[in-house]
Amino acid sequence: MQELHAARGEAAPEAGAGPALSARGLSRRFGEVTALDGLSFEVGRGELYGLVGPDGAGKTTAIRALAGLIRLDGGEARVLGLAADDHAVRERVGLMPQQFSLYRDLSVGENLRFFSRVFVLPREVYRRRAERLLEITRLAPFLDRRADALSGGMYKKLALACALLHEPEVLLLDEPTNGVDPVSRRELWALLHEFVHGGMTVLVSTPYMDEAERCGRVGLMNRGRLLLEGAPPALIAGFRDEAYEVRGGERDRVEAELARTPAVRAASPAGERLRIVVARGASAELARALAPLGATLAPVTPDFEDLFLSRIREEEA
Amino acid sequence: MTGPVRPSARVQLAAIFRKEVQQTVRDRRIMFMLVVAPLIQTVVFGFAVDFEVDRVPTLVVDADRSATSREDARRLLADGTLLSVGEESSAEAASAALDAGRASAALVFERRAEADRLSGRGQEVQVLLDGTDPNRTTVTSGAVSRFFSELGERLARERIEASGQTPPAQLRPIPRVAFNPGLATAPYMVPGIAAMLLVIVTTFTSAMGLAREREMGTLEQVLVTPIRPVHLLVGKMAPFVVIGLVVVTLLVGVGTWLFAIPIRGNLGLLLVGTLLYLLTTLGAGLLISTVSANQQQAFLGGFLFTIPAVLLSGLMTPILAMPGWLRPLTLLNPIRWYAEIMRGVLLRGAGFADLWLQFVVLLVIGVAIVAAATLRFQRRLG
Repeated sequence: MQELHAARGEAAPEAGAGPALSARGLSRRFGEVTALDGLSFEVGRGELYGLVGPDGAGKTTAIRALAGLIRLDGGEARVLGLAADDHAVRERVGLMPQQFSLYRDLSVGENLRFFSRVFVLPREVYRRRAERLLEITRLAPFLDRRADALSGGMYKKLALACALLHEPEVLLLDEPTNGVDPVSRRELWALLHEFVHGGMTVLVSTPYMDEAERCGRVGLMNRGRLLLEGAPPALIAGFRDEAYEVRGGERDRVEAELARTPAVRAASPAGERLRIVVARGASAELARALAPLGATLAPVTPDFEDLFLSRIREEEA
Repeated sequence: MTGPVRPSARVQLAAIFRKEVQQTVRDRRIMFMLVVAPLIQTVVFGFAVDFEVDRVPTLVVDADRSATSREDARRLLADGTLLSVGEESSAEAASAALDAGRASAALVFERRAEADRLSGRGQEVQVLLDGTDPNRTTVTSGAVSRFFSELGERLARERIEASGQTPPAQLRPIPRVAFNPGLATAPYMVPGIAAMLLVIVTTFTSAMGLAREREMGTLEQVLVTPIRPVHLLVGKMAPFVVIGLVVVTLLVGVGTWLFAIPIRGNLGLLLVGTLLYLLTTLGAGLLISTVSANQQQAFLGGFLFTIPAVLLSGLMTPILAMPGWLRPLTLLNPIRWYAEIMRGVLLRGAGFADLWLQFVVLLVIGVAIVAAATLRFQRRLG
């Protein structure tokens, strides 16, 4: 292993410097659908980067492009200074795809052992790592259970363990918390933070805005492009619009009024009330328009969801 | 494929091999399809596929009711080709029975048949035949003609001898049939059936195997590991080579035991031929799966390959009976070459010196197919 690392160092002179992941103008069409439309972003070494966006934004295609799994119509995907489909990158990258990707008819232990063999890990190394991964994922009691008999959360943790066996420098995760219960979800994020702490570069995609806040830096994707990028606190601080809760009034008439007002960037139900994003300085006028309907505006602290909904709406307008 | 296999590649190959075995052995239906089904089919087909025509249901219409007509009918029906299923009173009734499917042939002895023969005027025996099955009709008609021409010849000799003259010298060909003296169908057909079952089973399993990985999403996870495509494909094929060799051994065993198929040649040579054959059939399956997006497409692809391959192999119809433009196509057909190896080794005791061409052709086809599959199989999802 030592020698292999040395050899790699020679092959990639800029190893250690430069971004861990780099997407430059990635484009890919699938028939009529444009999945990637000039997507560009970089992830620095040791960074936890979140790719956030609605379903169909192109997150999966972007991650597959960085894993070297798809042909690109244009642009360049690089990993650790090498082309994404370079064979030399394989041993340094881990991927956890969104859909089921382990052998359902093999047990937890057999899946781990299989991937350790394909990565050519020495037996002792495998034993040590598997023991630790099984411990942190708390899968040890289920070693003999078939993968298709695991719960959603347990399966995701097994997939994570399989992607981590070879201790990759870069980890790509495509919607890892999709279909996972809240407890497992929190555990998964705790693990990701732990890995990043240990120096790993992590790129994670998610449709959940609350998860975006857990990343060091996020990129908001829509229609195959990046709309917005930055550290979550900085992004919220730079938010130009205001967020309000609409209280009272008849729901249908209030919604009709909101739809009529261009300054309202986004409106979404929040329990009994409506949560809206309004262009800065337009709230007074809106409050006057809503007053006859018996509705009032109450200011709330803007969060990520407000920011992203408003930005996507603005982009699509 | 060339050069020494790196130690890491060996570990990866072994990993794929082991995983494939675990999955296959665990799936009882697959194991049944791979091992038991070919055995059952060989036994069933071995008994069912029989080109020998015998026991043709035959009616006798004896309007003459003489000693000679009774004797002719008895002797004609005695050799087993024709089987008496009863008598009818008239040619019309016999014809109706043929229409109704109660018999496939009818012998009609006219009134005065004996008198005609004895008088030397010449006797006519009418034979009604159901021509639905051309092969059966030809054989039946041949059997009747042969019987009466031999009878006529004998009568002529007796008459010449009775007149005190020397009869002309007899001309009689004496065929000596080598390898299959009884002209039994099974020793010829069972090796062909084995070749056919092997191509179907192995092509489908290998075509479905890779398509399943694609459909189940496991291919995505495997493709991001450092394994090379060729090692992945070879590792997936290898367990089925082992299973294929076991199946062939079992089939030959069953053939010998049930159908008295001889093993005149070297079984090791047959297994080497089988190995080359499996390279072509498994490779064809892989090639099919590289152009299939899911298991359904792979399944249809399997049919598109195996059925024409079986029909154009010479197993069902002789290659010489095919139109001239179609015949060269059979040269690319691995089944054709493997069936020749099987029949050669088992029935004729042929050695490598007799069969080297078949071996070389199979090797060339196999390497070409696996190379094509490897080139087609990109480390890509889309």
